[in-house]
Amino acid sequence: MSERRDRMLWRRMDWVLFAVMVALAVASVAFIFSASYRGPGQPMPLFYRQQLIWFVAGLALYLVVMVVDYRLICQWATVWYALAVVALVLVLVFGVKVYGARRWLGWGRFGIQPAEMAKLAVIVTLAYYLFHRTPDQRRHWSTIAGAWMWTGVPFVLILVEPDLGSAFTLVPIVFGMLFLAGARVKQLALAGLLGLCLTPVAWWHMKAYQRERLTVFLNPNRDPLGAGWNLNQSLIAVGSGGLTGKGFLQGTQNSLGYLPRTVAPNDFLFSVIAEEKGFVGSACVVGLYAVLLARGLRIAASARDRLGLLLATGIVVMLMVHVFVNIGMTIGLMPVTGLPLPLLSYGGSFVLASMTALGLLQNIWIHRRHY
Amino acid sequence: MIASDAMFRLRILGGIITGGLMVLWLALFRIQVLNAEVYGSREQAQSLRRIRLPPSRGDIVDRHGVVLAQNRPSYDVVLYLDQLRSSKRQDIYRLASSHLAVLAEVMNRPVTLTEREIRLHDQRRRPLPLTVWRNLPPPTQAAFAERAAQLPAVDLIATPVRHYPHGALAAHLLGFVGQAEQPDEADAEDYYYHQADTVGKQGIEKTCDEALRGAPGGRTIRVNPSGRCVGEVGYKPAERGDRVTLTIDVNIQRIVENALDHAPLSGGAELRGAAVVLDPRNGEVLAMASRPTFNPNLFTPGAPPEEVALLLRNPGSPLLNRATGARYAPGSIFKPISLLAMLESGRVKVGDTVDCRGSLQIGNRSFGCWHRQGHGRVDALAAMRQSCDVWFYEKGIAAKVDNIAQMAIEFGLGQPTGFDGGSETAGLVPTPGWKRIHYGDRWWDGDTAQMAIGQGFLLTTPLQMACVAAALANGGTLWRPFVLRRIETADGTLVSERKPERRRTIFSSHLEFVRQAMLEVVEAPNGTGHRAAVPGLRVAGKTGTAETDIRVDGAVRRVKRAWFIAFAPFEAPQVALAVVFEQGEGGGHTAAPVAGRILADIFGRREGHGR
Repeated sequence: MSERRDRMLWRRMDWVLFAVMVALAVASVAFIFSASYRGPGQPMPLFYRQQLIWFVAGLALYLVVMVVDYRLICQWATVWYALAVVALVLVLVFGVKVYGARRWLGWGRFGIQPAEMAKLAVIVTLAYYLFHRTPDQRRHWSTIAGAWMWTGVPFVLILVEPDLGSAFTLVPIVFGMLFLAGARVKQLALAGLLGLCLTPVAWWHMKAYQRERLTVFLNPNRDPLGAGWNLNQSLIAVGSGGLTGKGFLQGTQNSLGYLPRTVAPNDFLFSVIAEEKGFVGSACVVGLYAVLLARGLRIAASARDRLGLLLATGIVVMLMVHVFVNIGMTIGLMPVTGLPLPLLSYGGSFVLASMTALGLLQNIWIHRRHY
Repeated sequence: MIASDAMFRLRILGGIITGGLMVLWLALFRIQVLNAEVYGSREQAQSLRRIRLPPSRGDIVDRHGVVLAQNRPSYDVVLYLDQLRSSKRQDIYRLASSHLAVLAEVMNRPVTLTEREIRLHDQRRRPLPLTVWRNLPPPTQAAFAERAAQLPAVDLIATPVRHYPHGALAAHLLGFVGQAEQPDEADAEDYYYHQADTVGKQGIEKTCDEALRGAPGGRTIRVNPSGRCVGEVGYKPAERGDRVTLTIDVNIQRIVENALDHAPLSGGAELRGAAVVLDPRNGEVLAMASRPTFNPNLFTPGAPPEEVALLLRNPGSPLLNRATGARYAPGSIFKPISLLAMLESGRVKVGDTVDCRGSLQIGNRSFGCWHRQGHGRVDALAAMRQSCDVWFYEKGIAAKVDNIAQMAIEFGLGQPTGFDGGSETAGLVPTPGWKRIHYGDRWWDGDTAQMAIGQGFLLTTPLQMACVAAALANGGTLWRPFVLRRIETADGTLVSERKPERRRTIFSSHLEFVRQAMLEVVEAPNGTGHRAAVPGLRVAGKTGTAETDIRVDGAVRRVKRAWFIAFAPFEAPQVALAVVFEQGEGGGHTAAPVAGRILADIFGRREGHGR
């Protein structure tokens, strides 16, 4: 019985989705290597090895999440939600301060960012919450309010870390899931407007560096040697890559340190790829994400139930927000926020979160409805 | 089961996602394909630096290949500021000065770099070496290697410096070099870091600057955001300047300079003057010297500036090449020309005699002969031999001024010679027309008389008079004097070679008579130039003494320009020369012995002449 189920599982998997994930992971390790490369024989940080370890750990998590039925996972939603909130509280109390923000919960050498995990917890919780509302309730104001109540707690906790980028990622996720849950567009628009009215309050509460980043985004040449530096250097890296790029390990922007070494492997890894592989490479990366997201939408469409649909939608929206904001940031379309690029950017927390999310997508696909 | 409404909404979500991805693709296409060049050039502008490598200057050699100007290595201690700083926040001046303090202590040598110099260097030319000490003597080099070489960011480098191995020898002709003042507009744009070229400032160094300079090379380096060089992208070596061969003969040059330095000047007279030796067969300048002189090595970088300032303030103008740049009344050395003019005019015959009583009344003025007692009855030959002024007064007036001026111009006076070894002055041949314009006065017979003996308004340069001597020597060919014989590239490929150039030929049946008369000037016991006689060598010449009023500290002083022109050997002249002293006793007393000594040394007849 169990043997047959396993065989079925392998056969029912979305191998294209898996292949895209592996491709992005390979590119990640390769370009993190390039981003820390300092020339032949020069000592270099071993980020790429660390990232490889994260991928191996992530793969284990991926398999576990893939195999256990998502309906079972979602039944535990309150537990995941509680764990996430506790972690977010802990990080505010015991968190390690890096560049003025408490985002890291550390055990010795290892550290995780609870905010990345919290995004998944919110998706699972919302999916479960919306799934249990009746169709009539879903068209009602109370559902929007309820969804926002669930999201509000982690949203505020993440906001005060402060991690503006991660906090605001939750907004499109909630709206996306509400939209798919069948909420009225008029109501969603009104809710959005209400949120927009709160923006001045947010601006007033922002730290100086956050305001600086936003003004720089609006005018990158205002202070090219100061806050605009990263954006300008990233633009130069991407643009000077040209059509075909300078070649692997040949990028000068990161190896010489114009693109600061602290951000090249994580937030600005896309700039490294774009410089070394040119438009061909960067368009391929966007293409890989396009395949990934299209697969995600297909999975949502073929989900066995509304729970799977909502879960898949939340995951797709989350990945899309990260992809758009991160790549948009490297080419000046978006402000510099520090949202990592799924599967590519260096960093354990989001690698694990992304692979868990992809595991969930596989899960929904495997348990899709039968025709 | 999923309702069709959800499917519809999923499609809308898919549409939004597709739209977002399209935006990314298009933005990337715009940046990486359409605007790639803009960002590429920005990338290069911030990370690539071009360093101009100044070429090393070509050698200047004499006709036999003896080096007159070359480059020698100057061993300089330098500091690389870009290697010093490890973080952007460190203050470069504090860092450098603490580093230099260690260096100064180890080397036991004071460092004179100012804060401004260090900061300026850091801002403008960070990857280039900052010179701490120039031109270290060998023992200090050894001390550096022993004690300071292992200090970080410090190095001992060799830079080429112009060197004149013979010191002041032919200084005026060779000239000197200095740093180019302003980089050319085009260069300043091309090269982010400009290293100043050495450029010729005077003499051959200046006139041949383009050939000597060579072509600059360049290095393209990559720098990191703090301006530190991280690698070389391109390298083009500088091309060495061409080798310039002069017509100068170092031996003759040394003889001439030595003779000038030993001129028999009376007490109180300053040694100011010049000498030019030409080959009358082609116009080659064999030697050219001017006094007072200077040492061109003084102008190399790192030389004490106060010595240069002293040189520039010197009232004797030691930098002036008097051989080409000073003009003097020729006095009686002009008489060969005026005699030729008289005879050619047909109004004066060789046998015409004049009774010289020591002076001649012209109009209401008395014009004296230099020999106050008078020469008695003299003909043309005697007048030349003893330089009788009265004969020339009378015959000059008879011959008419226009003929004399015409002949002077025929011999190249009053115009630049076209010499290729530095700037020159044209001198002056006056005419009645010229006088009317400049003095508003008519030309008097007295003016003609003055001009006939080479005084009055007439002005000539020593080089012009050497050319006159050469033309008289070779039977009437006026050559263009030149000093540049050949230009070759550093590896010996011929670039250009100078051919002798005939300016004009003076055809005159009376030339031989003038030459004979000049021979008598030296060989006759009562000839005014007998002090130039050299045993075993037939020397022809003419003395000249021109009285001139000069201003010294506001007071007018009368000095005598002492001239001598000569050529030898008489039958087939190989050498023609002109010598002048600004403050002499007279051509025969001061200049003739110097000329004789020069000729004696050139032809190896030193014994029996001079000291």
